[in-house]
Amino acid sequence: MPPVSEAAITVSGLRKSYGEHEAVRGIEFEVAAGEVFGFLGPNGAGKTTTIEILEGYRERSGGEVSVLGVDPGAPTRAWRNRVGLVLQECELDPLWTVAEAVSLFARFYEKPRPVAETIDLVGLGDKRDARVATLSGGQKRRADVAIGIIGDPDLIFLDEPTTGFDPSARRDAWNMIEGLKALGKTVFLTTHYMDEAQHLADRVAILRDGRIVAQGRTEELGDDLGRRTVIGFSLNGSLSAEDVRGAVPTSQVAVAGNRVEIETETPQPDLYRLLELAEQRGVELDELEVRRPSLEDIFLELTRAEAQES
Amino acid sequence: MNDRGVVLAQARMAILVALRTPRVLIFTAAFPLILLVLFNSIFSKGGNETTTLPGDLKLSAEAYFTAGIIAYSVALSTFATLAVSLTTQRENGQLKRYRGTPMPPWTFIAAQITRASAQALLMTALLLGVGAIAYGVPVPASTFPAFIAYVLLGTAAMCSLGIALSAFTPNPDAASTIAPFSVVMLSFVSGVWIPVDQLPSWLETVGKVFPLYHLALGLQTTLAPGASGTGLELGNVVVLLIWCAVGIRIASKRFKWEPQAAKA
Repeated sequence: MPPVSEAAITVSGLRKSYGEHEAVRGIEFEVAAGEVFGFLGPNGAGKTTTIEILEGYRERSGGEVSVLGVDPGAPTRAWRNRVGLVLQECELDPLWTVAEAVSLFARFYEKPRPVAETIDLVGLGDKRDARVATLSGGQKRRADVAIGIIGDPDLIFLDEPTTGFDPSARRDAWNMIEGLKALGKTVFLTTHYMDEAQHLADRVAILRDGRIVAQGRTEELGDDLGRRTVIGFSLNGSLSAEDVRGAVPTSQVAVAGNRVEIETETPQPDLYRLLELAEQRGVELDELEVRRPSLEDIFLELTRAEAQES
Repeated sequence: MNDRGVVLAQARMAILVALRTPRVLIFTAAFPLILLVLFNSIFSKGGNETTTLPGDLKLSAEAYFTAGIIAYSVALSTFATLAVSLTTQRENGQLKRYRGTPMPPWTFIAAQITRASAQALLMTALLLGVGAIAYGVPVPASTFPAFIAYVLLGTAAMCSLGIALSAFTPNPDAASTIAPFSVVMLSFVSGVWIPVDQLPSWLETVGKVFPLYHLALGLQTTLAPGASGTGLELGNVVVLLIWCAVGIRIASKRFKWEPQAAKA
């Protein structure tokens, strides 16, 4: 185990061009050992290109990259022993059984995890003798994860690990990924599901058009970007929009029909004044909610232009 | 970690996959056996030495077709099987997945060659056994070492060419059409289905360019009772070695690990 302070991945000025097209345009980030790092972006943002450079599959056009202290542009066997991959699609022979597939990959590594225990860990214990072809999409993905961690890697790349999962399978996968983190593994995660990144990632980077448009600790990302908390409710009784504006003069009040949304940097005093006002008038605030900016809100806002282009 | 163990584990898995694919067993195992029975039933002359090889060497129709079908079977088991299975494994992403592990690439290739060669040798033993027992094909002791040498040389050449071909077949459908079809076509001009002395000379010349002709002719020579010396002929050996080298050269330059089809 490397000391916790050591960075598992450092990337600076990374660029990648395919002919005229620049897929990655100078990105910079660092992943600390032992953290779960969420790498997010819409399709075509350069996510796959970047992850494949980090995995040692693709050469870069420029910049510096270090993964576990090694340049993945020149992958070595010792390095491969410490890196686990879960690629986007199931890449196992459909005619193998789960146990055969996991045992085969176990042979490739110096110090593999026990095969049976690893199959149990991903929840395929009762499918160990089933052929890969007969597994459901979620079960295939779990087999992929078993293959990805069989070498007992220090760093694991998970490329959209829960695509196609039903909600309960997704919960199981989340528990498993949290289990990996508890074992001290570093996890590099890409996903389309913002709730997944919000739940699992210590830090995230959001990629758009080959550039990182935001990065930081998951729960602080909204604050860092100056995104505000929203207080929402529906007007009724004698309460008018003007009354609300008078109660919270420093915040922005938007009204659509009888729905009011207050965007605020000072949610606590605003809420206090609002409730006081309602109390005085003897009005119930219908459908009252206080919303911090979710990762999904931030993501959609930052990548909207991209989404419209494609 | 023991690399030989890694090769054997992969070869074992490749054999398991083949055994679980009835299509493979039918085309590469049952098919040559059926052809052996068919040809010997249709063209048998009661063991009389009626077919003439270059150099006025005479042998029975049974020996001629048995040797020819062994050559055909070696080509199917190695050249065609490798081209199809490597293309399939590349396109479904298995090869790319392997490259992300510490598994040394050569062990994968060695395992695939082991699996193909095992199949070729097994089929050779089976076909020669059926030929000898059911159709009285003679197996002269003096030329038997040469027979084995030709099988091994042919296996090596066809393996390297099969791996080389897989670099050019864009998908499994293309590979499983091109590879077996080219073996069947070449068999017509290589003395497998039709004795070469019955071909127009220009067709025989075409056949002579390719390795199957020399593998078949080499095997037929070693099964001829009148063959002189070891039965090993420089011309056949040299052509097989050249094709083996060509295959290795192309394969090592062009072999691909990543799927070639653009993924949606």
